[in-house]
Amino acid sequence: MHLTSIMMATSLIIIFLLLAFPVLTSFSPHPLPSNWALTQVKTAVKWAFFISILPLCLFLNEGAETIITSWTWMNTHTFDVNISLKFDIYSIIFTPVALYVTWSILEFASWYMHADPNMNRFFKYLLIFLIAMITLVTANNMFQLFIGWEGVGIMSFLLIGWWYGRADANTAALQAVIYNRVGDIGLIFAMAWIATSLNSWEMQQMFTLSKDFDLTYPLVGLILAATGKSAQFGLHPWLPSAMEGPTPVSALLHSSTMVVAGIFLLIRMSPMLENNHTALTICLCLGALTTLFTATCALTQNDIKKIVAFSTSSQLGLMMVTIGLNQPQLAFLHICTHAFFKAMLFLCSGSIIHSLNDEQDIRKMGGMHHLTPFTSSCLTIGSLALTGTPFLAGFFSKDAIIEALNTSYLNAWALFLTLLATSFAAVYSLRVIFFVSMGHPRFNPLSPINENNPTVINPIKRLAWGSIIAGLLITSNITPLKTPVMSMPLLLKTAALAVTIIGLLTALELASLTNKQYKPTPKLSPHHFSNMLGFFPMVVHRLAPKLNLVLGQTIASQTVDQTWLEKVGPKATATLNLPLITTTNNIQQGMIKTYLSLFFFTFSLALLLLLY
Amino acid sequence: MLKILLPTIMLVPTIWAVPAKYLWSTTLSYSLIISLISLTWLKSSAESGWSFLNPYMATDPLSTPLLALTCWLLPLMILASQNHTAPEPISRQRTYITLLTSLQIFLIMAFSATEVIMFYIMFEATLIPTLVIITRWGNQTERLNAGTYFLFYTLAGSLPLLVALLLLQNNTGTLSLLTLQYTPSMQLSSFADKLWWAGCLLAFLVKMPLYGAHLWLPKAHVEAPIAGSMVLAAVLLKLGGYGMMRMMIMLEPLTKELSYPFIIFALWGVIMTGSICLRQTDLKSLIAYSSVSHMGLVAAGILIQTSWGFTGALILMIAHGLTSSALFCLANTNYERTHSRTMILARGLQMVLPLMTAWWFIASLANLALPPLPNLMGELMIITSLFHWSWWTIALTGGGTLITAGYSLYMFLMTQRGPLPAHIISLDPTHSREHLLMALHLLPLILLISKPELIWGWTA
Repeated sequence: MHLTSIMMATSLIIIFLLLAFPVLTSFSPHPLPSNWALTQVKTAVKWAFFISILPLCLFLNEGAETIITSWTWMNTHTFDVNISLKFDIYSIIFTPVALYVTWSILEFASWYMHADPNMNRFFKYLLIFLIAMITLVTANNMFQLFIGWEGVGIMSFLLIGWWYGRADANTAALQAVIYNRVGDIGLIFAMAWIATSLNSWEMQQMFTLSKDFDLTYPLVGLILAATGKSAQFGLHPWLPSAMEGPTPVSALLHSSTMVVAGIFLLIRMSPMLENNHTALTICLCLGALTTLFTATCALTQNDIKKIVAFSTSSQLGLMMVTIGLNQPQLAFLHICTHAFFKAMLFLCSGSIIHSLNDEQDIRKMGGMHHLTPFTSSCLTIGSLALTGTPFLAGFFSKDAIIEALNTSYLNAWALFLTLLATSFAAVYSLRVIFFVSMGHPRFNPLSPINENNPTVINPIKRLAWGSIIAGLLITSNITPLKTPVMSMPLLLKTAALAVTIIGLLTALELASLTNKQYKPTPKLSPHHFSNMLGFFPMVVHRLAPKLNLVLGQTIASQTVDQTWLEKVGPKATATLNLPLITTTNNIQQGMIKTYLSLFFFTFSLALLLLLY
Repeated sequence: MLKILLPTIMLVPTIWAVPAKYLWSTTLSYSLIISLISLTWLKSSAESGWSFLNPYMATDPLSTPLLALTCWLLPLMILASQNHTAPEPISRQRTYITLLTSLQIFLIMAFSATEVIMFYIMFEATLIPTLVIITRWGNQTERLNAGTYFLFYTLAGSLPLLVALLLLQNNTGTLSLLTLQYTPSMQLSSFADKLWWAGCLLAFLVKMPLYGAHLWLPKAHVEAPIAGSMVLAAVLLKLGGYGMMRMMIMLEPLTKELSYPFIIFALWGVIMTGSICLRQTDLKSLIAYSSVSHMGLVAAGILIQTSWGFTGALILMIAHGLTSSALFCLANTNYERTHSRTMILARGLQMVLPLMTAWWFIASLANLALPPLPNLMGELMIITSLFHWSWWTIALTGGGTLITAGYSLYMFLMTQRGPLPAHIISLDPTHSREHLLMALHLLPLILLISKPELIWGWTA
């Protein structure tokens, strides 16, 4: 075995061991010390991050990619499932990013959750989630990927429902699982198709063998899976609902790691995806629709976390668009840069929410720039990075995506939708900053505002550095797999920036209009559409469960089970036999005449039969 | 073979001879030793054939996991019953354990029988102790009705099987499982042959139970005491799946077409019973209907007759046996504290019984088939083999997984999460006995992840 691949495999195994160690030791019957979360979990993640730098450096230096296959887990006749790990550009880069972000979030969580009696358990959940996520990312076969896929899903269930006394948290947790399960049907469909047609779940064999097949159906399955996990249009409502979870959970799961798993799946499968134009078009249109729809929803939300959640959803749509453009590497780049600034935005909002005594409504904030200068500065940096301000992290990925979109020969409708969503990003980002850090305070005078704590400042600071330089670092170090278009008309080159600036100016104009009262009775229906999330949950969350519950109650239970099956089966046996029983029973009344006549009748009948 | 059977039979005099003080501990450790010895069956040297052969009994990769499960379940039943039989007189306690033991004797003989007719007799014999457990030790008057349903559904299904077996004996001259698969395939074309085919399978389909013939199961589960529910869900239903897999070999040419309506019924049942689960208010009834739903998947996997289908069905049978038995035990811990099966009356139990919540969570996850638990391996194999047969099945199986996730987590949220009602603040704390019981259910399930070949049957 080559030395480089040994080093890569070893470091990954060390990462797994480091992360698993606190989980395993927590099963000891002795109660955990109260600072276990910080001393064990955070340290483990921190060291795992530093160790993950090693394969990253090896990769950057030598371009080394490797696949480790060991231990046949199960086999039937010709079908094997192995434990197999993949170290390619995606897993090698994503692992340090995820660990870095998690490290910061864990440190932040130790401040945010300090009053929670079960903080150790909370950290343990986050750690198990991280293990599942790294399993997903490094998986080299579908089964392993499915383990990580479901693992992150179920940890998200636990973490969204962290405050389990609240009905909202429980329903949001259930909602997340159910939407994800709809996506899982697609994954199971794709896995079944792959198993029956290609006879292997190992990635490289799948990619080699699938050349001669029409892959549209399994790819649609995979896209459905990604739709569920990455909250694309149709299966998106769980992501804003998931904001019922604690803010560190939103920062880790619902912005930077778990929700990108769907996009990551499609990036992994891009060798199968790239030659199928139907699937690519589906991705493109689905992504464009998602990015615009969720950006529209973000425009009028008043809950700060919901705005950030919808902007996450919108960015996920943008990643999907990139997949549809057949630029998986670009989508991956956006995953990485997005992780930094979106996690930071969540941490900033968490800090503000905490400072304002758990107030999440941006209408009741304001003037935070004077009270929490650091947090609100970082909020601004994050928003700028999100809108693609030049040379911040978001710029390197977002601008490249929009350039690729502009110069491609694909769907102009998708292009238009995406550009519109890009301008909306400027609008809702400005809205958050405008309401939260500008203007006058609108909150209670006795709020426990204090950001002067290293466990708040340091994580946000670390992510702020990431939001500023990560894009530059990553783009200048990796080799693009596809040749980017370098020359284009000025209009196309500046399109992303132009629409963002137009969006910003419009938003500023709108903001100033609100003070002037030009139109005392504004037209409210567009506002309602956006504020009520396009009426989507109203319709879907009522109709589908109601249909199924009615099926369960009236048809399956009452009509079939309690009526038909009862009446046709056991009850019918009784009622059919009853007349015979009563007839024979009624004759037996002790009347000698009846007995004798019956005897005579049978006797004569037998005699007749005997004679003839 | 006899190393297990004879000690099990000798457990009966032990139950009656042992001093009252040591009754439960002795029987528990005795049966646990038997079950530990039974694990040696899993390490069979023969590649795919029979081992531990004697004139009447043998094991093969198909029956071994079920036998081990049977032996594993007796100590668990004893553990689970200890609390609710404690107020009864000692002789009745002895009778109860004797009943449970007799069930294990019959089940061992059924699963290890090499003659189909012996399997049939033991299949019927298991009805008697089960009926007594349900109708004598159940809690409400409805138990009598449940007993009737249980008995008559199973009997009505299995009498045709007797006729069909006698016919088979007439035609082939043997009913030995060792040789039956080598007999030349019969010319089956007439209408009577189709009836014979139905007769061969009906008993097992009722026992599984197939959707449509499942009414007895929820009733029996709801009314039975905990040990009855456990053994019913874990092993007795599996008699149906096991019998079907055995008979399938002989029915070869006919099954291809005749099985269609049954596959459709089974898959449709997955959706329907899953939907019923979503509306259940009764905890035990919910678990019972979820059993029907899972066994529907097993039935479909067997009827599809591919090696993946068989393997998936066997894996799912073992995994479902452990999971549903664990869920019934959990429901029983609630029942013993609140004396009600109604879910809404015992909410928010995470507050008072936090470690129990961990068991509930693992059991619910196993029920909804979280990877890499064996439940998922089984379901995935069945879904794949059904998918290979017809693409449309993914709509039913996929919908089934969605609904399964829905009701499993509904059950979890309903019992464990949410606010704690005021009337259950003074509950008994959990006993180590209960935690041991749950651990002994779920640990095998988790350990099987690392070596699923043990329960893979013929394809291993």
